[in-house]
Amino acid sequence: MKYYIKLGFILLIFCAVASGILAYINSLTAPVIAERKAKEEIATRESLIPDSDFEEQQAPGGEKYFIARDKATGDIKGYTFIAAQTGYSSVVQTMVGVDKEFNVINIKVIDQAETPGLGANCTSESFTGQFAGLPASELAVDKDGGKIKSLSGATITSRCVANSIREMVKALQAAIADGGAK
Amino acid sequence: MSFVKELSKGIIKENPIFVIVLGMCPTLAVTTSVNNALGMGMAATFVLICSNIIISMIKNVTPAKIRIPVYVVVIASFVSIVDMVMAAYVPDLHKSLGLFIPLIVVNCIILGRAEAFANKNNVLMSIADAIGMGLGFTLSLVVVSTIRELLGAGTWLGMQLLPKSYDPMLVAILAPGAFITLGFLMALMNMIKERK
Repeated sequence: MKYYIKLGFILLIFCAVASGILAYINSLTAPVIAERKAKEEIATRESLIPDSDFEEQQAPGGEKYFIARDKATGDIKGYTFIAAQTGYSSVVQTMVGVDKEFNVINIKVIDQAETPGLGANCTSESFTGQFAGLPASELAVDKDGGKIKSLSGATITSRCVANSIREMVKALQAAIADGGAK
Repeated sequence: MSFVKELSKGIIKENPIFVIVLGMCPTLAVTTSVNNALGMGMAATFVLICSNIIISMIKNVTPAKIRIPVYVVVIASFVSIVDMVMAAYVPDLHKSLGLFIPLIVVNCIILGRAEAFANKNNVLMSIADAIGMGLGFTLSLVVVSTIRELLGAGTWLGMQLLPKSYDPMLVAILAPGAFITLGFLMALMNMIKERK
């Protein structure tokens, strides 16, 4: 009996040391990672709708979105937001830029951990490029009657990207229509 | 002499995939392209070297009855450390390899080498064993993925090799293609061995 308590105690020491080291390294790296992510987000936003000033807004549902205004004239050029939905094995996050009429300008997958070689191909240009110019009603994979050709072997991931964007575009459209003159 | 022997055995004689048949899950999952195979191979080799060093260092203070949970703790901690450090300081490398890092935790080659080798041998031999096994693993992944990428997409490392008119054999990229390719390669390995 005593022997087993001793074993448990030794295992406890190993785990305590390991989690101590992990906590320490996490405290060192977490701020660096957060800062890098924030910088990346700004860069991505600018690549979607270039030459714009971005203004952060809160939709009534709590989602954040950004209004893009032309740097020179101040006219509204469009909106950017992050769409997220669970795909096959991870939450896929996509940053989307839409124009004033809510047609997609461009999208970029910013975070995903889908199956390498299948779902992970959703970051490729040949997949994301298909979204450009589409209104919300056509944002669906071809199996669901939309215009997006699914990635081979990764219908779930493709559907998740298309659906998450469609829902966000619709929500944004409704939010801005409610907000009146914006 | 025996350092070299430990190093080279992982490549053919005790190849982790074709002979020991360990680490099938990552092998089947990532061999859809040569690029992924190289990434997974290198990331796994790195973690294997680190975990073999630590495990052979702590082999005398680990009671035999709880050695497996201790190994799991060591390996999982290492994988998390590598993941965090890479994400913070080498983001570009993390972007291309990051996907494979969580998969390494479930790669039983690493646990297998800890149990079969590192806990019985000194640090130097364990490093040799890890490098050899890592190379063997990477090499096998590259062979499997070469066949699958070539048949399934007509490319190698992203370069178009087969003419555009070639209609890709989609099944080679999907899960069944992994099993079929692996089966044929294992049969080939066994055939060569029997001839000797």
